[in-house]
Amino acid sequence: MSLTRRQLLGVGAAVAGAATLGGWALWSGRGQSPLLLSARNDDAGQHYAVGYFLDGRRAFATPVAERCHDVCRHPFLPLALFVGRRPSRESYLVDLRDGTLVQALHSQSQRHFYGHAVFHRSGQWLYATENDTGEAGRGVVGRYRLDSQRLQLIHDGEVSSHGVGPHQLAWLPDGESLVIGNGGIRTEGGSREAMNLDTMAPSLVVMDRHGERISKETLPQSQNSIRHLAVAADGTVITGQQYHGAPWDSVPLLAIKRPGEAYQPFPVATSQLAMMKQYTASIAIHNEKRLVAMTAPRGNRFFIWDLDSAATLVDAAMPDCAGVGAVPGGFAVTSGQGKCRYFDCRSREVTSRWLELPDAWWDNHLGLA
Amino acid sequence: MQRLIVLITTLMLAACSNPRQEVTVQLANQVLLPAHQQWQSRNAALLDSTRAWCSGDQPLASLEQAFHQTQSAWSRLQPLMVGPLSEGNRSWQVQFWPDKRNMVARQTEDLLNEFADLTQPQLEGASVVVQGLTAFEYVLFDEQAALTDNRGRYCPLLTGIARHQLTLSNEVVGLWQQPDGMLETLTSFPNGRYANADKALGGILRVQVTGVDTLKKKLGTPMGRLNSGVPQPYQAEAWRSRHSTENLLASLTGAQAVWERVRSLVGDAKLVGDIDAAYKSVRDKLAALPAPLMNMVEDKANQPQLQSLYADLDALENLQQTDLARHLGIQIGFNANDGD
Repeated sequence: MSLTRRQLLGVGAAVAGAATLGGWALWSGRGQSPLLLSARNDDAGQHYAVGYFLDGRRAFATPVAERCHDVCRHPFLPLALFVGRRPSRESYLVDLRDGTLVQALHSQSQRHFYGHAVFHRSGQWLYATENDTGEAGRGVVGRYRLDSQRLQLIHDGEVSSHGVGPHQLAWLPDGESLVIGNGGIRTEGGSREAMNLDTMAPSLVVMDRHGERISKETLPQSQNSIRHLAVAADGTVITGQQYHGAPWDSVPLLAIKRPGEAYQPFPVATSQLAMMKQYTASIAIHNEKRLVAMTAPRGNRFFIWDLDSAATLVDAAMPDCAGVGAVPGGFAVTSGQGKCRYFDCRSREVTSRWLELPDAWWDNHLGLA
Repeated sequence: MQRLIVLITTLMLAACSNPRQEVTVQLANQVLLPAHQQWQSRNAALLDSTRAWCSGDQPLASLEQAFHQTQSAWSRLQPLMVGPLSEGNRSWQVQFWPDKRNMVARQTEDLLNEFADLTQPQLEGASVVVQGLTAFEYVLFDEQAALTDNRGRYCPLLTGIARHQLTLSNEVVGLWQQPDGMLETLTSFPNGRYANADKALGGILRVQVTGVDTLKKKLGTPMGRLNSGVPQPYQAEAWRSRHSTENLLASLTGAQAVWERVRSLVGDAKLVGDIDAAYKSVRDKLAALPAPLMNMVEDKANQPQLQSLYADLDALENLQQTDLARHLGIQIGFNANDGD
């Protein structure tokens, strides 16, 4: 069944109110378990945009040409963009009700996606981090308008990300300001090879959605690439880093910017840092519980900390843990190699159980609807 | 009691009826843990030998022999280091390779210039670069150190490194054997790390395949594969002791020990034959190298022989990483090897 504008907007109006309640409100409001969205492969290497309910039922698995990375949901329509992983030049707009591929979005000439994007709360605009390969490494945020007549995203300009190699971006609570992790790594053309490890300058930038810079902060180590982030309801920003210096160096792989305060390392134990193998992947914040969760796939380690006290709730082995997302009562975690897992945080003694989702091949991020 | 016997019998039957679980349990009990324990005992012997030489009770050749045996145990262990030793930056404390900027020599001398009579806490507080076997090898074999003339300068460091290695291996073996430790994690399912034996077997194979890939790097780097084909003899592992090839053979033995157990799970006779042949070919070619690796790479005439060995290692890696993994339905790597 092809999707019409009338149908889509009808659904959109019905769920618009529910969407503001939280990431999982769209489906739980209809008595279903949350819908987990992710990029995934199969054993043969085919790439998919998938949606699975947390109870294991498959909603859809849509074949796509290129491997995707993160997923960003439209604020009230049952649509999500599966964003091409760098240096992909394609992203995929998908109807969450049946997996229909609504649009294969192509990047502009001399631009490629970096795997992350966000929809504006109005639902009319999408912002994606991109690389200007014509001026190698110049980070830009591409702006796309959702054409409500044709249900197509249309490129509508770009602004500077105020740094090199922008990766994940997210809205601050005002819904108008973007926080961006500029990883600092310059890559060229269609390559993933880092060209500037000795001269990296990663930064955490806050800017309004029109590109005006509000702040730009850094961490002491120039090779500590700021890549992933999550924003709490009160505006606290947590970032995850990937360090390109010596494997045995102890550097802050997690950092925090509380409202009105300077960007600084999040107080993680040295022994925990040593378990991460200088690589963090996905970060999620549970606003009700004031918890932050993070995956470290190279260290095969999953963590949950108290956002306010930094106390450790979970420090667990989990092979190639990938995406993490806040769900009712805790966190859902996918894996590139093993089984997916649910961590129940309803009490301070966190328990976990395996999820009945397909094993392995989940990419590093997940979205919830 | 009767209930307990029934339970144990049921569990044993369950294990026996699941060949993959049986192989995983065998690997843990008969290959992985013993390899860690052998490394631990070699470290104990190295500490004894170091003390004996430093007090004048043993010839240098005995210390060198103890070092070679420790290095060999560590090399054999590398494709088998599932769990604690591969976590928390522990393996960097054992060996520092590759050493692209000759940091071992520089930092060792700097440390001893700073602390004339080095204490254990001073060593523990120093960089991993000077805490492991590579620094020990530098002191023992590098002409710059001239060990026999400078026993007083270097003995505190040698003893400190040997003690550090023994402490580290005691800790790691402890983490294997403690309740809920690594041994239990690989023999009792489900547990906090593995949902079932298949996942644990996948974990073991991933480490083993990584070990074979490391062998390729240890051969390819001095050959100049990362340097536009220009040989880099001083990038050979253990070039100072001229034991690169012996170490590669020991690592191959460790990797093959996993394959020897996994072989029974493979129903494809051709695949079994191909992997067996690949191991034999790599072993034969390694054993046939007539000179230390650092000397071999310097002579262009040896390139065909080294290239042939590298190609065989590559073939072995592909057979396991692709064909064997697909046959067993085990996924070797995804985000952890190729993230973003």
